[in-house]
Amino acid sequence: MKALLTTALMGFRMYFRDRSSVFWGMIFPILLMTMIGLAFGRIDSLTFTVGVVGEETSPGARVVRTGLSQVPAVRLIAERSLEEALRALRAGRRVLVVVLPKAGEPLEAYYDAARPQDSSTALLVLERFVAEANLRLSGATPVVELRAHSVTTRSSRFIDFLLPGILALTLAQNGLMGVSWTVTSYRQGLVLKRVIATPVNPSLFLCGLLVRYASVSIVQLTVITLVGMGAFGARLAGNLILLAVLAIGGSLVFTSVGIAISTVARTPESANVMGSVMNFPMMFLAGTFWPRELMPEAIRPLIAYLPLSPLVDAMRAVGARGEALGPYLPGLVYLLGWGVLALVIATRRFRWE
Amino acid sequence: MSIAVSVSDLTKRYGSLVAVDRISFEVRTGEIFGILGPNGAGKTTTLEIMEGLRRPDGGHVAIDGVDVLASPHEVRARIGVQLQEAGFFERLTPDETLYLFSTYHRQSLPRDVLLERMGLTEKRDALVETLSGGQRQRLSIALALLNDPRIVFLDEPTTGLDPQARRAMWDVVEGIRRESRTVILTTHYMEEAQRLCDRVAIMDHGRIVALDTPRALIRAHAGGTTLAFVMEDGRLDADRLPGVSRVDGSDGETVLHTTDPQRTLHALLDLSRDGQVRYRSLRVDEPTLEDVFLHLTGRRLRE
Repeated sequence: MKALLTTALMGFRMYFRDRSSVFWGMIFPILLMTMIGLAFGRIDSLTFTVGVVGEETSPGARVVRTGLSQVPAVRLIAERSLEEALRALRAGRRVLVVVLPKAGEPLEAYYDAARPQDSSTALLVLERFVAEANLRLSGATPVVELRAHSVTTRSSRFIDFLLPGILALTLAQNGLMGVSWTVTSYRQGLVLKRVIATPVNPSLFLCGLLVRYASVSIVQLTVITLVGMGAFGARLAGNLILLAVLAIGGSLVFTSVGIAISTVARTPESANVMGSVMNFPMMFLAGTFWPRELMPEAIRPLIAYLPLSPLVDAMRAVGARGEALGPYLPGLVYLLGWGVLALVIATRRFRWE
Repeated sequence: MSIAVSVSDLTKRYGSLVAVDRISFEVRTGEIFGILGPNGAGKTTTLEIMEGLRRPDGGHVAIDGVDVLASPHEVRARIGVQLQEAGFFERLTPDETLYLFSTYHRQSLPRDVLLERMGLTEKRDALVETLSGGQRQRLSIALALLNDPRIVFLDEPTTGLDPQARRAMWDVVEGIRRESRTVILTTHYMEEAQRLCDRVAIMDHGRIVALDTPRALIRAHAGGTTLAFVMEDGRLDADRLPGVSRVDGSDGETVLHTTDPQRTLHALLDLSRDGQVRYRSLRVDEPTLEDVFLHLTGRRLRE
């Protein structure tokens, strides 16, 4: 038992002394989270910057302006001139430019046709206040009133969606890229031979490796999560213990897969290639960065069989939405199957030199 | 004298290559036993079978009375093993390395004592990746001694070391023997075998071609003493000198094989005193294990 724990402890130290593994294990996922977050995060972050030109010289202008300023998602900027406002619009710094009308004049709005989604949403909001102004100024009573009911308990933002995906991806990457490389280079460098030349029970050493990578993963995931929360305002909805259990389970499965790869590869370089062949497609296809529904219909059944998919789903359900694990158990059992298969290959084929 | 290791009819094949060919020998308790031979002679294979790291295709090995094939685990607990070219966990310190491996053994010597003995005290907290070749080799020996073994196997402990580090390693090996441990080492340096080993087995093509003390091997298989000289001027009939059995020569140097080195030398010096010849150089060569190997195999040890 001491052999197992010491193997894990020393491995843990070695991990954090190796700059490249710290980069791939922590810095790289954080960079990914930052880049993906910046590139796609706007999908559901509804802030529209609207430039306003002119004074509130008419009642209509007042209703529109006050109305817009009360919409939380709209940020109003008072423009000095129309030319300046249009320049900002063309540069993408405005979604919409509104010219407040003098009495009897129409309300002029300028938008960028190159950004149809944002500008049409902003125009809809604008139209609502134009209609309201007309209604109010004509003195009519509203016939229908809108009451909207949200079905999610909390707002689901992109970063909340992204973070669990990044965490699951990190677990897979540790095993497929890190473990396979490390174990193969231990074998090639005859370090494993040194171990087998002692009376230690070899399975204790291998279990030590599993514990090492599981504990390394917990530290990595904690750091990534804290950065996600601190820098990007990500929130975890679910049970942290349940999330940790999923992380440890995922780490054990992918570490086993990594060891299995190391039994097939002769050199660390070829282990790296094999690991990449598994890791990179999963990284983009398994729903880590964006919903799997965005993937082409034809390959979706295939994607469901990627071992990373069930882990992403379960960690996202617990982490982002605070759900219970029940509906995700079949997927997790499938993932466990990968782990068992990998362990069988690893123990059957394992060579110490 | 008790027997530490006994090997009988050991055979190992790799495909059609017979790496070890039915060899038998015994190692006595407390001696330094050397296996000398060129690369590919089967030294490492023999050693690794004795260590329980490889299975032989035939034969038996008993270490400290324990059958290696039947209980390799038990044997590993009793021996210390220094593996050729084996790596370390590069990002651990020597102290951490010893600590980690101590948990793999049933018992272990204090780490500070081992580090001190191997001259690694200053490096105890430096990462292994920063150690020199000699320091790594000494750490490897420290690992071999960690479990306080009665029998220590050293596979080419000085290969790749500079002359100074090699001499330091010789002192270390002699120190191990002084603690009344049995040492079995392989080497392809004949001066190393000659200097360190109580007995030497000379191995070639998987077979032991000779086994004895270095002196006895030289006496039995190498020619006698030779006298070599280069003449400045004068002339002499070398084969008429007393005791001379054969005359060789190359590059202006004359080499006399003699059955009576003392008389031959006197005769050479008399000639010089009488002014008949003047020598530019004159030296007496004792035969070495290199000559033994040359005699037994017709080849030089390092080619």
